[in-house]
Amino acid sequence: MINITKLKKEYRERTVLDIDKLEIKDGEMLAVAGANGSGKTTLLKILAGQLKKTDGELSLPENVLYMPQQSYAFRGNLLENITLGKADKEKGEKLLEKLELSHLKDKKAVSLSGGELQRLSLCRILVRKAELLLLDEPTSACDAKGAELVVEAIKEYRKETGCTVIMTTHSPALAINAADRLIILNNGKIEADGEPLKILNEPKTDWAKSFIAGWKI
Amino acid sequence: MDSFRQAFELLFSLDKELMQIIGVTLRMSFFSTTISCILGLPIGALIGTKSFKGKSFLKKLIHTLMGLPPVVAGLFVYMLFTHYGPFGSLNLLFTVKVMVIAQVILITPIVIGLSSSFIESTSKPIIETARGIGLKNGKIVKLCLSEGRTSLVSIVLSAFGRSIAEVGAVSIVGGNIQWKTRVMTTAIMLETNKGKFSFALALGIILLIIAFIVNAVASFIVKEAKDD
Repeated sequence: MINITKLKKEYRERTVLDIDKLEIKDGEMLAVAGANGSGKTTLLKILAGQLKKTDGELSLPENVLYMPQQSYAFRGNLLENITLGKADKEKGEKLLEKLELSHLKDKKAVSLSGGELQRLSLCRILVRKAELLLLDEPTSACDAKGAELVVEAIKEYRKETGCTVIMTTHSPALAINAADRLIILNNGKIEADGEPLKILNEPKTDWAKSFIAGWKI
Repeated sequence: MDSFRQAFELLFSLDKELMQIIGVTLRMSFFSTTISCILGLPIGALIGTKSFKGKSFLKKLIHTLMGLPPVVAGLFVYMLFTHYGPFGSLNLLFTVKVMVIAQVILITPIVIGLSSSFIESTSKPIIETARGIGLKNGKIVKLCLSEGRTSLVSIVLSAFGRSIAEVGAVSIVGGNIQWKTRVMTTAIMLETNKGKFSFALALGIILLIIAFIVNAVASFIVKEAKDD
């Protein structure tokens, strides 16, 4: 179980994240939505240990992997990019095949398109073992087909490992298709929390109504 | 054209004094660049990756020191190493060693400034991605160096360029002594003062040829790195 209590992050006296309580069950897949600057990435970075919290308590598993929003291509070919730090090569090749990148495996990673690079970043994460997977907008650069491949790969990984997944997204489709639960952040606070379809169809506050109306468009 | 002819004649005649001047120039530039990089790159990496109180002021100070006039640095080192200065007993004034010290004072802020800007702007996604997949700090540093080697070579070249072309500080602390502390730039200055413009220009051309060779070697290294 992941426990987040009174988590606060301030930048120069501006509060960007203020979560009173959030519990995430083991093996749960949580989607985090919200407008730009609502605190989604800040939350993930704090959980990944890449950003210091200002205040609050966190209870997290030991083995946490994090995929940043901005995908990075290291020198070398696709397989070398995936197996950085001695990850399983055979598993890497299977993932490349699954995410339809195996025909490019000997190419340099820097030559990939945005969508291909994002799928490569996901391979780099999924080739490793994690108890908690943190994915920052994992389909933002992908087309419809690419996004589908990403969702399938995440679902399969979760089924195999039983890990917990937290991902931020601007895509209602991703939240509905992949997540068990959705939270919507507004100025760093949780505005809505529940089953994705229920939140989308029955928003409880006026702010959530207007956000979802815009989101659907 | 006369200067070009004279430059090549001087080079191919392997004139003893010229070879000695080139030797001192390269020795001084090599050591000052190496020491500045050893000191400056880790400091630049720290400033580029860490957040701390006073960082903005420190960056402003470094940027100011990047434009430090060489004669001021020369004067400062001269006062430190003159017989009445705190390090006078070391008897280093008018030696190549003190010329290297003066150049280190001039070049280190350039290395710190350029490396911290480079690391701040380019290493963030590298560190974020590498930490995200659970790599340890040692591996992350290796990755940053490997990913940024093209820029690192440029920083070293900038430092070397500043060192080999510098005249103000080395003439004050080195004294432009024949067969001892005379380097290409101080020799050019001397020949110009004597009115031997053609010879001074020939020395200038040789200096450019040396700089070109160093740059060509560095470009080759960078190209090899890119093709990896």
